[in-house]
Amino acid sequence: MLKIQNLSKTYPNGTQALKNVSFDVQDGEFLVVIGLSGSGKSTLLRCINRLIEPTEGKIIWDNVDITAAPPAELRHIRRKIGMVFQQFNLVKRSSVMTNVLSGRLGYVNPWTSLLGIWSQEDRQRAIQALDRVGIADKAHSRADALSGGQQQRVGIARALMQDPKLILADEPVASLDPVLSHSILQYLEQLNKEGITVICSLHFLDLVHRYATRVVALKDGVKVFEGSAKEIDRAKFKEIYGEEAQEVRAASL
Amino acid sequence: MSIETATRRPVVRSGIASFFLPGLGQFLLGERYRGGGILLGFVVMLGTTVWYGKPLWYAAPILIWLWNIWDAISLANGRARSILLPLLFGLAAAYGIGWQVVEIDFSKANMDRALAILRPMTRPDFVQPRREVNQMWVPVQVPCSSQPPAARREDAGRAAMVIPDCGGVGETLIVNVTGMWADAETNVFWQNPIGNPLMLGEGEITMLTLTTDENGSLTTTIRVPSTALVAAPDPTLPQFHRVYFEQYRPTGGYELSFIGNEVLKGALATVSMALMATGLAMLFAIPLSFLAARNLMSGNPVTYAVYVAVRTLLNILRSIESLIIAIIFVVIVGLGPFAGMLALALHSVAALGKLYSEVIEGIDPGPIEAIRATGANWLQVVRYAVIPQIIPPFTAFTIYRWDINVRSATVIGLVGGGGIGFLLIELIRVNNMRGVSAVFIAIAFIVIVLDYVSAKLRERLV
Ligand SMILES: Nc1ncnc2c1ncn2[C@@H]1O[C@H](COP(=O)(O)OP(=O)(O)OP(=O)(O)O)[C@@H](O)[C@H]1O
Ligand SMILES: [Mg+2]
Repeated sequence: MLKIQNLSKTYPNGTQALKNVSFDVQDGEFLVVIGLSGSGKSTLLRCINRLIEPTEGKIIWDNVDITAAPPAELRHIRRKIGMVFQQFNLVKRSSVMTNVLSGRLGYVNPWTSLLGIWSQEDRQRAIQALDRVGIADKAHSRADALSGGQQQRVGIARALMQDPKLILADEPVASLDPVLSHSILQYLEQLNKEGITVICSLHFLDLVHRYATRVVALKDGVKVFEGSAKEIDRAKFKEIYGEEAQEVRAASL
Repeated sequence: MSIETATRRPVVRSGIASFFLPGLGQFLLGERYRGGGILLGFVVMLGTTVWYGKPLWYAAPILIWLWNIWDAISLANGRARSILLPLLFGLAAAYGIGWQVVEIDFSKANMDRALAILRPMTRPDFVQPRREVNQMWVPVQVPCSSQPPAARREDAGRAAMVIPDCGGVGETLIVNVTGMWADAETNVFWQNPIGNPLMLGEGEITMLTLTTDENGSLTTTIRVPSTALVAAPDPTLPQFHRVYFEQYRPTGGYELSFIGNEVLKGALATVSMALMATGLAMLFAIPLSFLAARNLMSGNPVTYAVYVAVRTLLNILRSIESLIIAIIFVVIVGLGPFAGMLALALHSVAALGKLYSEVIEGIDPGPIEAIRATGANWLQVVRYAVIPQIIPPFTAFTIYRWDINVRSATVIGLVGGGGIGFLLIELIRVNNMRGVSAVFIAIAFIVIVLDYVSAKLRERLV
């Protein structure tokens, strides 16, 4: 279980991206974080694996305080947390295979990995991961030769290499069209069904309704809603997204 | 009535103001920048023409001055004139003065001189027909001793002799050689005891060339060269000089000529000079580029100060032509490719440092956070997220720099930096235009090939 307690983040320039946010995530949940652009979703997800250092508060995962972990232990924790990004964050000039293998970096011998040497087992694992997301044939292409949807699948395969217990997905489908969005989210849903907890930020409400087991909404860094997707009625929606907002449906695009 | 006077007064006033001081009318009408600009333009134009001192160009400031009055009056009437006209006056004057300063004079061109240079250049001295040589010599004593030995010599079926057996400077001798190749051109020349050849032809500055008869024999008279004893420590001491007979004949095929060989050596020196310089520069530029990357260094005031210092240093270095650095290094380490290499390296450190640092600044932070998120350590992040992003552009820029350095290396030779440029300036000095032409062709070849290779290599790295 992941416990987020009184989490706050103030950037060096004074922006308060998160204000005293607390909630729990049970194992096996598909938790979706929603909120307007700039509401702090990315900051929240990055605080969980400390890509961003929280200013205050605690994050406790299976009784381990992530926020207090020293560097070596933090790396140990991170390798159990896969991460998927809106911009895919692949190394564009490297091959798909290398990108996927790099998901294994937390496990392998650091020195051999620096030489670019990978065990047969890890290579096998990488092919399997690519196979799961349906692009095993692209293993030897350069990452930037792939379409957006394919690149995101490489991103998921890289996260899979970590053998994760938790996947953080920061707007994984915001750069993709609605059809691709569903196919990517279905992979995450599949992983979730296999027992991996997923925390995912999303923009489109119909996607939220379709995939979320629970929803947390942020507004200006403050948690304004926590509950099931069904509970987001017109009033709640206006509260989260503001008076002017109109619901946009990805499926209707 | 009152409206009319109200409008006319500023018209007259502005016109008069601008008459006395260009731009003043406009200034008084509230157009301060326009007024200031007109005054500045006028003063600069006037200053230039006065300094240059050719009355014709006074037309430009005068026209600008007239336009300025017209503009002031128009402006007072509410309509500014286009500044295109005074700009054109100024430009025309500047261009005209420039033409005269550059001393453009096509009548100076001399076709005969041009042809004298260009004609030998159509036959670049790079290869020559392969040939074999048939050489024979005979000793002769100069000046005569009381008992001169016989001036005869036999060797491999050939025999040569001089009559009489000795002689003084300017005296006439009969020389004879037998057993040479038949009906072949034969060079006859003198060699003093220290091994310097002296000519025996017209005025002692041309080669004496004769043809052997059908038996391979040749007889002629020569004069002991006037300079035969110049190098002798004691001109009264009899010493042995030699008369040489030399024949050549082609054996088919071609071989590198002496100059051709030098050109090849020079080309190799130039390319490797550039290669060494680029490699050396790369070693220094890589660490410097990290210090000159804003995104890495803007974190705290100390690193930022280092960043500013390194950037400034690189910018200053980069602004000094490598040719000028070469002149300094020639003084420090002497003539030769080493000086040129150091100059190129120093300039390249600055150029590469800047290019590399821009690569580092343009690095995508996305992969870095992605690799950090996998639990990788710092070195692994550098290896898997940073290096793949910077190696290809670094390599591309380095190859590009090598390409540029080869071009510069050819020029740097001209100031004594070694390589093919040095050969070129030597050949120009002794007016060997066939050699010069060979060098030109070699340079063009190197540059074109390298351009192609570097473009191809870089294409693969993008
Ligand atoms: N590195 C940073 N330095 C300063 N301010 C930042 C930084 N990163 C984010 N912010 C600010 O923090 C706030 C929250 O940003 P965050 O990226 O977490 O929002 P988000 O909900 O992910 O938005 P989006 O939907 O656009 O991705 C914003 O006001 C943003 O401008
Ligand atoms: Mg975001």
